[in-house]
Amino acid sequence: MNGDVVTTFNVFHEMPLSILIAVYFYMTGLSAGSFILSTMAYGFGMEKFKPIGRVGVVMAVVLLGLAPLNLIAELGQPLRFWYLFPYLNPASPITWGSFLLTLYPINCLIYGYFMFKGRPKLTRAFGLIGIPLALSVHGYTGFILALGKARALWNTALMPTYFLTSAMVSGIALMILVVMVRDRFFMPEKKINRGIVSTLVTMLLITIVFDLFLALSDVLILLTADTEAREAALLLLQGGFRPYFLGVEVGLGAVIPLALLLLPATRRQFKFIAAASVLVMFGILAMRYVVVIGGQTIPLS
Amino acid sequence: MSSSEAGTAIAAGVRYGMVVDLRRCTGCQACSVACKAEMDVPLGVFRTWVKQIEKGEYPFVSVSFLPSLCNQCEQPICLRNCPTRATYQLENGIVVVDPHRCIGCKYCIASCPYSVRYLSPLKKIAEKCEFCRHRLEDGLEPACVNTCPTGALVFGDLRDPDSNVSKVLKRNPVQVLKPDRATFPQVYYLAADSEAMEARGASEGQER
Repeated sequence: MNGDVVTTFNVFHEMPLSILIAVYFYMTGLSAGSFILSTMAYGFGMEKFKPIGRVGVVMAVVLLGLAPLNLIAELGQPLRFWYLFPYLNPASPITWGSFLLTLYPINCLIYGYFMFKGRPKLTRAFGLIGIPLALSVHGYTGFILALGKARALWNTALMPTYFLTSAMVSGIALMILVVMVRDRFFMPEKKINRGIVSTLVTMLLITIVFDLFLALSDVLILLTADTEAREAALLLLQGGFRPYFLGVEVGLGAVIPLALLLLPATRRQFKFIAAASVLVMFGILAMRYVVVIGGQTIPLS
Repeated sequence: MSSSEAGTAIAAGVRYGMVVDLRRCTGCQACSVACKAEMDVPLGVFRTWVKQIEKGEYPFVSVSFLPSLCNQCEQPICLRNCPTRATYQLENGIVVVDPHRCIGCKYCIASCPYSVRYLSPLKKIAEKCEFCRHRLEDGLEPACVNTCPTGALVFGDLRDPDSNVSKVLKRNPVQVLKPDRATFPQVYYLAADSEAMEARGASEGQER
């Protein structure tokens, strides 16, 4: 090629999906993670998870009550949101979401109601029904992006798994913080339950490592797949999204928390566990931002 | 050309398509202007436009054009992803949006590999090139085709072997944009420059 190619005229395209979508993905992820932790005790009967059973379902309901508001605010025609039900399209992942986002919170409410009423059998039943719902409600958001096939960063079969894993990571981190705050400030003993916290820390370590593995696989394959995919990978590794991906998502959100939770000097101290959990939550928020906004910054025309 | 690989074609009837003959395009943007006027396209958005690139070093320079519009795909991802079925395909292959059905979720805009849809800044619904279906119903050609001063836009029925578009397709090597996306575009390009066909992003002064 002799000389550079200069684009002398081409039109600008507004980014279709805003940051509200990233926030929505973040909130459903937190909700699904909290719910699954809650069912460890009340669905699967694992006694050591008992201290987070109730607070887990409360967080799941609150977060999922708020999350869909982001979606409605994102619509060009918010008052037409109900069209999603009568005019549904079974091929569209947004339609799957319309029903999941209705069924899942209802199930959460019933599950929570029986839990607080002290009806263990019914609690268990609705807890077990809720598990596939919680997995679907976050898994489908991965399909939304993966089926938005124009965007190289989205169009990967890894996306639903990547989203589910990051949901568990952020859900566990949230639960650690919630348990610490509750025990420290709102319980008569003012003493943090070390047993449940260390169980959650172990789970957090495992999920962070798996999440990092998925991020690594994703970027490695993108780098070599095709021209657009390579451009997407370079955007995360060298381009404008390097600070959010390498800096916040991988560095602050995974590597530093791993160090804090593994090093003998810090791993037994609640303040470092709390710091690690806060960092993890920011890391996953950055991951949602990188995927949703980063995916749309690469021009298509 | 009428039998698309996608296999959803209806045996009889019209299937509209277009060939953009870049040997004839002068980059005059008359098609963009005609479209704006015909469809009352709001400021800042386009249903069709001519991308223009320059390459080489003086005195060996060249300019290439690429009129861009909806490809009226045989397998439109916008249609598959639309959660309210506001986007649908007419029997003649044209992909259209029902303005009363669209909720403005923008998923179609995000999914389209060609960035030829936009959210109307006025109506807050998705809009796109519909091959001027109202003009077709009256037996007229789309406004861009009608206005093109050099005849670079060849429009017609891909299933009619005697139509201009079929003849041009039969006699010339053609390409489509992003064939790897499995969308089976029905807007074909003749003598297009590969670097003009690549995604290039907005030109200077177009970014907001």
